[in-house]
Amino acid sequence: MTKEWILPKGHLSYWLRQLRNSASLIAPLRVDGDIVFKSLENIHEVSLDNPALLPSPKEFLFPQQESLFWIEDGTKVRQLYNNEKRFVFGVRSCDISALRLLDRFYLEGYEDPYYSLRRKNTVFISIVCNNPEPTCFCIGLGTGPYLEKGFDIQLTDLGDRYFVQAGNAKAFRIIRQWNFLFNKPKRIDYEDQYEVFLSSKARFQKRISLENVRKYILAGKVKDSFWGAVTERCFECGGCVYECPLCTCFTVTDRVYSFGIDRVRLWDTCLFKGFTRMAGGVLPNEKRILRTRRWYYHKLIHYPDLLGGFGCVGCGRCTVTCPGKIDMATIAIKLRDLQDNG
Amino acid sequence: MTTMDKILTVCPYCGCGCGLYLHVDRGRLVGVSPSKSHPVNRGSLCVKGWNAHEFVVHPDRLLSPMIKDKGEFRECTWDTALDYVAKRLMEIRDRHGPDSIGILSSAKCTNEENYLMMKFARAVVGTNNIDHCARLCHSSTVGGLAAAFGSGAMTNSISEIRDAKVLFVIGSNTTEQHPMIGMHMLDAVDRGAILIVADPRRPQIAEFAHIHLRHKPGTDVALLMGIMHIIVNEGLVDIDFVRRRTENFDTFERILRDFHPHAVERITGVGIEEIRRVARIYAMEKRSMLFYAMGITQHITGVDNVRACANLVMLTGHIGLPSSGINPLRGQNNVQGACDMGALPNVYSGYQTVTNPRARRKFERAWKRKLPVKPGLTVVEMTEAAYEGRLKALYIMGENPLLSDPDLNHVKEAMKRLDLLIVQDIFPNETMQYAHVVLPACSFAEKDGTFTNTERRVQLLRKAIEPVGSSRPDWEIITKLSRRMGYDMKYRGTYEIMEEIALLTPSYGGMLHHRLREVHGLQWPCPDIAHPGTPFLHRKKIAKGLGTFITVEFKPPAELPDEEYPFILTTGRIYFHYHTGTMCRRTSVLEREEPSCYVEINPDDAEALHIKDKSQVRVSSRRGSITVLARVTDRTPQGVVFIPFHYSEAAANLLTNAALDPTVKIPEYKVCAVKVEPLIKEDRRPRSIKIVDLEDLRIT
Repeated sequence: MTKEWILPKGHLSYWLRQLRNSASLIAPLRVDGDIVFKSLENIHEVSLDNPALLPSPKEFLFPQQESLFWIEDGTKVRQLYNNEKRFVFGVRSCDISALRLLDRFYLEGYEDPYYSLRRKNTVFISIVCNNPEPTCFCIGLGTGPYLEKGFDIQLTDLGDRYFVQAGNAKAFRIIRQWNFLFNKPKRIDYEDQYEVFLSSKARFQKRISLENVRKYILAGKVKDSFWGAVTERCFECGGCVYECPLCTCFTVTDRVYSFGIDRVRLWDTCLFKGFTRMAGGVLPNEKRILRTRRWYYHKLIHYPDLLGGFGCVGCGRCTVTCPGKIDMATIAIKLRDLQDNG
Repeated sequence: MTTMDKILTVCPYCGCGCGLYLHVDRGRLVGVSPSKSHPVNRGSLCVKGWNAHEFVVHPDRLLSPMIKDKGEFRECTWDTALDYVAKRLMEIRDRHGPDSIGILSSAKCTNEENYLMMKFARAVVGTNNIDHCARLCHSSTVGGLAAAFGSGAMTNSISEIRDAKVLFVIGSNTTEQHPMIGMHMLDAVDRGAILIVADPRRPQIAEFAHIHLRHKPGTDVALLMGIMHIIVNEGLVDIDFVRRRTENFDTFERILRDFHPHAVERITGVGIEEIRRVARIYAMEKRSMLFYAMGITQHITGVDNVRACANLVMLTGHIGLPSSGINPLRGQNNVQGACDMGALPNVYSGYQTVTNPRARRKFERAWKRKLPVKPGLTVVEMTEAAYEGRLKALYIMGENPLLSDPDLNHVKEAMKRLDLLIVQDIFPNETMQYAHVVLPACSFAEKDGTFTNTERRVQLLRKAIEPVGSSRPDWEIITKLSRRMGYDMKYRGTYEIMEEIALLTPSYGGMLHHRLREVHGLQWPCPDIAHPGTPFLHRKKIAKGLGTFITVEFKPPAELPDEEYPFILTTGRIYFHYHTGTMCRRTSVLEREEPSCYVEINPDDAEALHIKDKSQVRVSSRRGSITVLARVTDRTPQGVVFIPFHYSEAAANLLTNAALDPTVKIPEYKVCAVKVEPLIKEDRRPRSIKIVDLEDLRIT
């Protein structure tokens, strides 16, 4: 179900104010030289210039650190759920695509109640990228720069107005609440939206076929020496996993206070040897090469096998954050070149 | 309250000074993310930075002031604690004189706090006995480079690294200890720079090196002099530079003749060919950057090592240009700042010496107190003075000498003998057990101020959350204490302290908070409020006029291996931990990665001693003994073992030697003699096997 409207740009700040009155509103804001997602205070600070912001909006569903429950008097357990209703404005198509796989991980089979509740309470208003960064490569993966389906509300910047699409019933109801702000689209609006799609696609500097890389790996052509050289450059910062909109590694720890126990879930990464330490101290992945290689295997081989899509949406965040420059895009391009040279 | 606020601040770990955002959800710290526009980290962080939010609310946080009563700590109010401290300090000062009181400031605290601590020591207590852990890491740099150039800091900026053509890294495990500087180095190598690493061990950075010199620990002077010998012999000296910008070359050259490459080869174990290659590569490229860290400074010849580096730079004229200079990598987030602020026994802020009557008068006029003339005691000397009973009281802010200082058994005894020990920290630490009063301080997330990183960048630290428990920012504690001791310090905020610093410190003249807010900080010298800061030093002129060649001599380490203690022990840090572990060992991911202490030993040595990987071994020196796990790796050469010093349960500093550099009193952490024994002697006899007849097992 998709419904379409036109929102004149002059109406945007009014609409955002209305959204903020009904729930908390998070948007990309310019602060101290960077643009970051944070609670909106001043509407005029909203900046839609930068596509992939650090870190990815997965932090709004799967926070870097969250308290799961609290134990008092040794026995009384109080579950800590975050019931807050939120709008996240200004996310990009790649991140919305990532949510679909994140949902499958956290909601299928065992349903993670913390994730589930946050997901239900959060509406994402995404914007079509018309200014991809040099690090972006969603275009080769079908995860951007715009989406046909799977979004909550998608905006396309047509210069003086936004083309607005609602992707589900919840989104439809939200738009309807302030329907006096929105107009019916005309034929020219559809044409203009298509123009934006075309011009946006033309601006990508990277086109990467992960499918070819996957086939190349599966054919057993990538030698350990290649992964060894990649591993040498790994700083073990965990940045790729922390930044990745699709990575789900976490650890759980107890904070034992005198007045109770706080069970906390924290981001973790499979790139650390202690992540898979077993009782008795055995480290199955003690060699660094096993862990680095595993990360690429997980994203390129296991994800498609298990969840039907690559564990990468081409947001390019790992390209920005990796101090050793062994991010997904760089490695995929290196493997493509290797393939070319036989 | 906002549900997702992000506040730009500075990482509390190493000297890189990365910009990061603290994520705050309804007043609680929930995460960290890197700043993309920051010139140092550019959207990256190391694992410690990524996890910098976790320790802040750890259950161990000190929440209330405590006074020891009949051997036990009792919680009390701030008034009681501060009244008690003020009363006791004044009593001791009146009875034994101001020099019976020592103060340890902290490279983890802000510039403002270090400045106030320095003012407290000198104006309120009346002693120059103030020092901090820079003594243990880079005092050789402050001493050595200041004598040569007039300024002891990185001469270049971190962002200049990627444009360098030659990187000469000596005694620094850069990718692990200064990961974001390592990132820039890797960038330079990718862009075609030649990387030379000199290190007895094989740290990660050496994997990218074009040349790796593995000289014997403690032979750095010989190695550097050997390189310079070849540079002089082959006519690679920048003669114009030496003539116009330096002095004392002739004396130096005479000394240099003693370091014939053959002799150097014998001392260092590095082949002549290698030394020659390094000399040629380094001397012939103008955009050459020299980096060094603890591997140079923590020796009894620490100052000579630094001087040798300085001489090399002057000989080739590789200084005073972008991507060309000498770069000590400072360890702590604000060790540069703590030194700049004069938390040292011999200088006021901006390295204005206490023995200089003009400088002293300036501070006396500003502070309205008569100031002491005699330079004070250093960290290790204070321990000695406490041991001998000359020092009666010690006020420690954010330091942990009972893990960080050499020869810990001796330090323990010294602490026990003090009449008054005040520990001001965020967590209980090893030193606290001997304290009489404990004052809970705020962590980096709960206060404002500035940190100065290793490239002299003064950056704003911003408060993200309210103080945990009844902890208070260190600067507030100092002002309150000072008031009780009859000296009123009035500041509405840290920005007012910075104004006073700017007034009295030439290199910080333009460092006002409102200016630092606009950009990611400014680099000193920044003498006035219109000055844009200085990305690289010694442009057109060496800071002190002429660069001075200072003669150095090779001296072997204080303790060399012998038959009883056949190994050289070298200590250092590891990637997942940081110094005495106060913060990182309370961070679940970091602690999980490296939960226990280990000793790195070469496979050949391990085999000879029947030591298996991950088995328990005992490492002993003449001063102590610890039990750790063996890690068999060829990263460490034969005859050398390496132990990280983070672990209180197996403190490497029980073993280390407190031999000091004669000039700046830095202890020799990098070399001492030890023996290694397997804890469980391997039983080499085959076990007797009972052969069971299958018939016996048959169930009847």
